[in-house]
Amino acid sequence: MCASTVMPGTTLRGIRRIRTTSSAAFVQLARQRPAETVEWTEAEAIRRAQTGNSTAFEFLYQLHSRRVYALCLRMMGNPADAEDLMQEAFLQLFRKISTFRGESAFSTWLHRMTVNVVLMRLRKKSLPTDSLEETLEPDAENSGPRRDIGAPDLRLSGAVDRVNLERSIEKLPPGYKTVFVLHDVQGYEHNEIADIMGCSVGNSKSQLHKARTRLRELLQEEVREQARQERQSAKSSTASLD
Amino acid sequence: MQCKDLEAVLEQEGLSPLPVEAREHLAGCTACQNFLADLSTIVVAAKQFPAEADPPDRIWISLRVQLEAEGVITAQNPVAVMEKTPWWQNFPTFLRPRTLAAVGAGVFLVASSLYIMERFGRPQTGKIDKPPVAQAAKPVTPAQTNPVGTTAAKHPNVPPSNQIATKNPPAQPEDSSTVLRPSPSENAFGDSAIVLSQTESDVQSMRPAGSLRVDAALRQNLRTLNEFIAECEQHLKQNPQDQLAREYLNSAYQQKAELLAAMIDSGRSEH
Repeated sequence: MCASTVMPGTTLRGIRRIRTTSSAAFVQLARQRPAETVEWTEAEAIRRAQTGNSTAFEFLYQLHSRRVYALCLRMMGNPADAEDLMQEAFLQLFRKISTFRGESAFSTWLHRMTVNVVLMRLRKKSLPTDSLEETLEPDAENSGPRRDIGAPDLRLSGAVDRVNLERSIEKLPPGYKTVFVLHDVQGYEHNEIADIMGCSVGNSKSQLHKARTRLRELLQEEVREQARQERQSAKSSTASLD
Repeated sequence: MQCKDLEAVLEQEGLSPLPVEAREHLAGCTACQNFLADLSTIVVAAKQFPAEADPPDRIWISLRVQLEAEGVITAQNPVAVMEKTPWWQNFPTFLRPRTLAAVGAGVFLVASSLYIMERFGRPQTGKIDKPPVAQAAKPVTPAQTNPVGTTAAKHPNVPPSNQIATKNPPAQPEDSSTVLRPSPSENAFGDSAIVLSQTESDVQSMRPAGSLRVDAALRQNLRTLNEFIAECEQHLKQNPQDQLAREYLNSAYQQKAELLAAMIDSGRSEH
């Protein structure tokens, strides 16, 4: 597995030490599986998992679950859905692990499954209005957000806090949201995102730019809304004083 | 460069570093300056989000249960296989109840096989252990008498080494020289036939097994086998050189031995 395929920002390069510990809440599991330390490479763990080795499955899970969970959490916006989707993604992965031949990075394969699972769930929900197919079409001029260059802008400096940004990310269409989270939050490169999403690098770049632009608009709306509410509360407080 | 050109550059090249033309445009365009500043703010804020998050432990537990239920996970103790341990450290594994039970069952099977071989399958040596006195003294009815015994009485030309009468005097008040002298054709089965007949008389005197149907079926099979043996002996009497009949007779004796063993086991298990 080449170095470029290792997930960016990860500390899990090469040999990874996993210490399985039992907590009081999971005494039953601890009885089944005593504390053990395993030193494997990812490729070795994959090979063992393909033979049904339970420790290898756990190794791979421990290796990738934190990033997958963060992705699901960011995409879905709530822990319950994130847990559900992460389990579904790993389930699909482990069911098909015997077919993994190493043509792509294992992490890319896993994230592709995760993204697919997440997007399918998001499509089932009625809230998002844009589908992935629509947002993945760079040529459709009307599908992406448009910016009126000459319109008065509201500078976001100082107005972008974590809550506002999370709320705005949740409002993004699934395709935009996926690319934005993968690139700007999780640190993937465009070629990796193209592998995960099954699109071209140029498409990934285009999606990212549109996602950022759309986020800007959403944040501006948030800021305006907050300003409106502040004005209303100020008016109501003034009226009560009068 | 126009504003839309700058946006195209931002889309393909990212936020930095920008080409000279783009920077020149930015220097004179407040809207694009604000636009670029906002995008940079968003990117910086997004990078503050954690790229990893600890999932609850219950996810793996649930996942593992599901994978085990589906049979995806098969090996349960792979680490123990990896770490090579000295052979003497594996002794405690033999003390597990399941292992002990398996070893016990194996020992029982071997002992049973040896017992059956000792009792029914002893090779011919020309000598026969003296049967128990009580059994030997027991009067044998013609119907219970083994077929070989009955036919043996009609064939007096038996070599002295095979004459059982010299070692085991018969209980019947008949002439020993006429009672236990198997013909040459039956000589090969003589010892086995006598042992089988004694065992058969023991079995006949045993109480029926718990299941009357099983007991009746076993006795019916025994009767059928006896009839077949009698037929074979009759045929061999007429054609002593018939190898096929001899093989049939040999096979019939083996079946009779197995059947009697089954009847003994059945009676023993019930008592």
